[in-house]
Amino acid sequence: MAAPKSILKKTSYPATTSRSKDERDREVALYHANLLQERKDIELKILLNTETLIDYPLASKPYDASNPSPVDARSFKKLVQPFQPSDYDSLIVERNINEHCGYSLCPNDRVKDGAAGKYRLIGKTGKAKNFKVVEKGELEKWCSSACAKRALYVRVQLSQVPAWERDITYGMEIDLLDESKSGEDPTVERHEKMDSFTPDDPGKKNATDLALERGDKGVGAKKGLVDVDIKEKDVQRPAQAPSFETEDISERLESLHLQLEGHTTVFGSKRQRRHHEELEGIDEDGYCSDTDWKLD
Amino acid sequence: MSMATEEERATKAREAGDREAARLWRAWRTVHEMVQDRGYQLSEEEVKISLKDFRYQYSGPDGSIDRNKMKFSADPSEIMVKRYTNLPTTAQPVPPPPDVGRIWVEFLPGDNVGIKQMRNFAQFLSQNSHHTGILITNVSITPAAMKIIPAVANETRIECFMEQDLLVNITHHELVPKHVLLSKEERGKLLERYRLKDTQLPRIQLSDPIARYLGLRRGQVVKIIRKSETAGRYASYRLCV
Repeated sequence: MAAPKSILKKTSYPATTSRSKDERDREVALYHANLLQERKDIELKILLNTETLIDYPLASKPYDASNPSPVDARSFKKLVQPFQPSDYDSLIVERNINEHCGYSLCPNDRVKDGAAGKYRLIGKTGKAKNFKVVEKGELEKWCSSACAKRALYVRVQLSQVPAWERDITYGMEIDLLDESKSGEDPTVERHEKMDSFTPDDPGKKNATDLALERGDKGVGAKKGLVDVDIKEKDVQRPAQAPSFETEDISERLESLHLQLEGHTTVFGSKRQRRHHEELEGIDEDGYCSDTDWKLD
Repeated sequence: MSMATEEERATKAREAGDREAARLWRAWRTVHEMVQDRGYQLSEEEVKISLKDFRYQYSGPDGSIDRNKMKFSADPSEIMVKRYTNLPTTAQPVPPPPDVGRIWVEFLPGDNVGIKQMRNFAQFLSQNSHHTGILITNVSITPAAMKIIPAVANETRIECFMEQDLLVNITHHELVPKHVLLSKEERGKLLERYRLKDTQLPRIQLSDPIARYLGLRRGQVVKIIRKSETAGRYASYRLCV
């Protein structure tokens, strides 16, 4: 006896590709697992960078916050690069716990006035607009107001986007407030960086751009869900610039104003229109030759 | 006149010192009870220390309590080891050894706890091969420092408490029912008896105060014994998530 034919829809359709469903599921799961792992790795990196920066600067005496040693400045910029502003804030807190000035390239200790009171008055001399009431804690983060300015100058350049979602070329460059004094020509450094981020293979660059456009961005999406393979289309005949055809236009001149992106809107079905035309043909000089008001 | 104010000031300072000592003594008692309730070996004298003895043992030269002295370690009892023993499975006929070991408890002085302090604590634990460490602080630990804990999780297990959370032992409150950690074997029997998967049990959070008190881990099951007006005693089970 043959099994009765099911009236239900078939639950599984024949696979369109050669890969089985399990394989595809596995790939999707792996893709997302890799994204998560990437994120974890970056978070750990931020933690370790924070730990390193607590004891900065490494160079001693001749260098100070206004004139940081080039080595320290460069590694500081590199270490702080994956940070979000909130990570930078916690770096300042950690440095303050160890009694350092909040600015990572400053070798001084932070100031601490033992006086009581929660607030401090600053700008008591000079113009009235400079006068401010500031929380004591805010002032005690730094060794001086110049260092506060330097540290916040770096903070505003950090990207709000978490490092694992950033696109690779964005927010690479961090400037220091006193960079030009540091002896090394900053433009040279910048050129080096730009070179290193231009992929040698133009096809690779196109693929990266396309992946960015699709939203498969960030460092984790090196291998996206979609295989991107850009193929150049071979064009045999010489390219021709588009031209404006003048002779064509005289015929269409009457209806040209009705056109929307090359399409003329007409009302009613073809048959109705023909019927209309016949009617109009009969009473050619009749009263209703003007049909503007009649839409059907 | 000035003599009187001098005296007043001295009395005030002494009273503040007494309050601080009493606070620390209560936290010290609670943490000992906690370690004992988890199944580590501690003597009754250690757990039930009187305020007088505590002040005598842990005072610094200036008479105030010195937090640097407040540290101790304990070894798991046989019962506790048994409770953490893994069962052989078909995949692993020889089960891995129980994941318990010596515990180290330390009170941290200072009004700031950052990455540095946490890293030092983690290094101390792994150097002395302490399986678990409990860090008790007077202030809250910075969020960045808390991230150290998962980063060193494969070397050592760190738990953090604040002094103010240990002033009373929450398990002694009349509205808190008795929580008992089930061993792997008991857990298996329970699931078999009720024909459940573990995810079908009610849950308890890892961050629940009782779960933190007992040092629960994800996947463990606790038996909760409540008093019931109709049934006398009523037991329920929760899976730690």
